[in-house]
Amino acid sequence: MNDIYQTHDHILVFRTNINRKKHVRTISPLLNGCDTIKKWNVDLSDIDNVLRIEATHSDCAPVIELVKQAGYACEELTD
Amino acid sequence: MRTRDIHKESLIREKAIEIIVNHGFDGLSMHKLAKSAGVSVATIYIYFKDREQLIQQLYTEENAKMAEATLLNFNPESHFDEGLKVQWMNRMRYCLKNPYSMTFMEQVKHSPLVDRSSIDQRFLHAMSTFVHKAIERKEIVSLPVEIYWSIAFAPLYQLVKFHISKTSMPGRPPFIFDEEKINQTLELVIKALKP
Repeated sequence: MNDIYQTHDHILVFRTNINRKKHVRTISPLLNGCDTIKKWNVDLSDIDNVLRIEATHSDCAPVIELVKQAGYACEELTD
Repeated sequence: MRTRDIHKESLIREKAIEIIVNHGFDGLSMHKLAKSAGVSVATIYIYFKDREQLIQQLYTEENAKMAEATLLNFNPESHFDEGLKVQWMNRMRYCLKNPYSMTFMEQVKHSPLVDRSSIDQRFLHAMSTFVHKAIERKEIVSLPVEIYWSIAFAPLYQLVKFHISKTSMPGRPPFIFDEEKINQTLELVIKALKP
């Protein structure tokens, strides 16, 4: 299991307002079509509706841009 | 780049179980968990994909730990009376050492949140061999598994609960589940299962 995380070391975490399955479906093509994103999911069961991304880079800006273009709020969840 | 830290991860697990035990599944929010484990919400998401996966992983891990403790020095081929005693002692020791884990596993049993099909196969196999050999050798009667479990193990867990909560029936002194009381109960359980 550790190996998986070592190969995708960039885990990006965002607070969003994507709070329904249908909204997740709406953004699916955008995120799936992004070749720097290896895996992603939205935690619909928690208040922050966290969008979690395993990416090949650590740059949050392009992800925020992408999600905002789709009409959703998105900000980096910082430590 | 964030790095994984095994200690942080196990602290998050431990606190998550405590919160679920004290406040139920709905009481577990990532904010509450972060605060209690002294990490940020973002950090929790490094280790866990989402809340559901976190709960599922807690179950899988606790189940594996419990299975391992339960199978210690247990021979599935042994005579039913002996084997059940080993099972009882192992399960009791585990529960007394990990009271949060025990309560958590109880809660999971009644929750649709957790897929319990991922249960430890080695454990299932050992317990099933144990029962079927005992039935074959006519040491116990053949029963639907739910009835078997309720007679063979439910008394143990109920008495462990009395012991842990330090209360039992109204007006009774704290219940201490000692060796003598274990043997007393075990004798009745075995008697009930005899053909």
